[in-house]
Amino acid sequence: MNSTEPDMRPVPDSQPMFNRVLRASPETVRGTLQDIRSRFADLVAEDTLGRLELVLAEVMNNVAEHAPDMAADGQPVIHLCVVRHAGGLACALTDDGASLPDECLAPRNLPRATDMPEGGFGWFLIQDLTQALCYYREGSRNYLAFSVPFASVS
Amino acid sequence: MQFIVEDVDSHLHISVNEPRIDAAIATQFKDKLREIVNRNRKPVHLDMARVEFMDSSGLGAMIAVRKGLPESLPLVLLALTPNVERVFRLTRMDSVFDIRAA
Repeated sequence: MNSTEPDMRPVPDSQPMFNRVLRASPETVRGTLQDIRSRFADLVAEDTLGRLELVLAEVMNNVAEHAPDMAADGQPVIHLCVVRHAGGLACALTDDGASLPDECLAPRNLPRATDMPEGGFGWFLIQDLTQALCYYREGSRNYLAFSVPFASVS
Repeated sequence: MQFIVEDVDSHLHISVNEPRIDAAIATQFKDKLREIVNRNRKPVHLDMARVEFMDSSGLGAMIAVRKGLPESLPLVLLALTPNVERVFRLTRMDSVFDIRAA
């Protein structure tokens, strides 16, 4: 395109989005979640925002918690993108942390409440609150994508 | 990590003065709350009105505190905000905790 001519193509309807590259630590995850909340606060209903925040907390804290031992490099780096679209909030994350075990994505049941388990809820919540969850590993990176619908699925 | 502790005769009223119980403070939350409830050996009313967000590590901490108390000592959760209530409900842990409006 000739750079002296103005670009007359119509501007597509742009959708609000949030992009962040962060070290996977509980503190940076917390800061990122608060920034996402500010970014979408006026654009998305509080109920949806609450579900988005919970899912992203579970996903990113898993990356931090299961970081491979990389004393030299520090913690894994997460690339996060959230875009509002017609039905909900589309999320894509990549990270250079540990590979995700298959069972995380297999259909899960809750641990029995009466056993008072102190963990094992994270992937259940992620699966319960998202749609179109997909994952693949390429080289040293994880790729995870899903949507948090506007209408509650559960 | 801040708790406001009031000893009313029948029980301990503990207000959680933190907006988030997440992975960044779950361990501290658990240790400090355990210390308070173990020292006093009384039923506990935990006022959660100021907690706007809790994730599964926060829930795990809460379960650990409950398990650390003798079964005879009640732990009542008061005034859960919607985002906190959701975590208890989705994980069915609302069936094992005594949750009350306020």
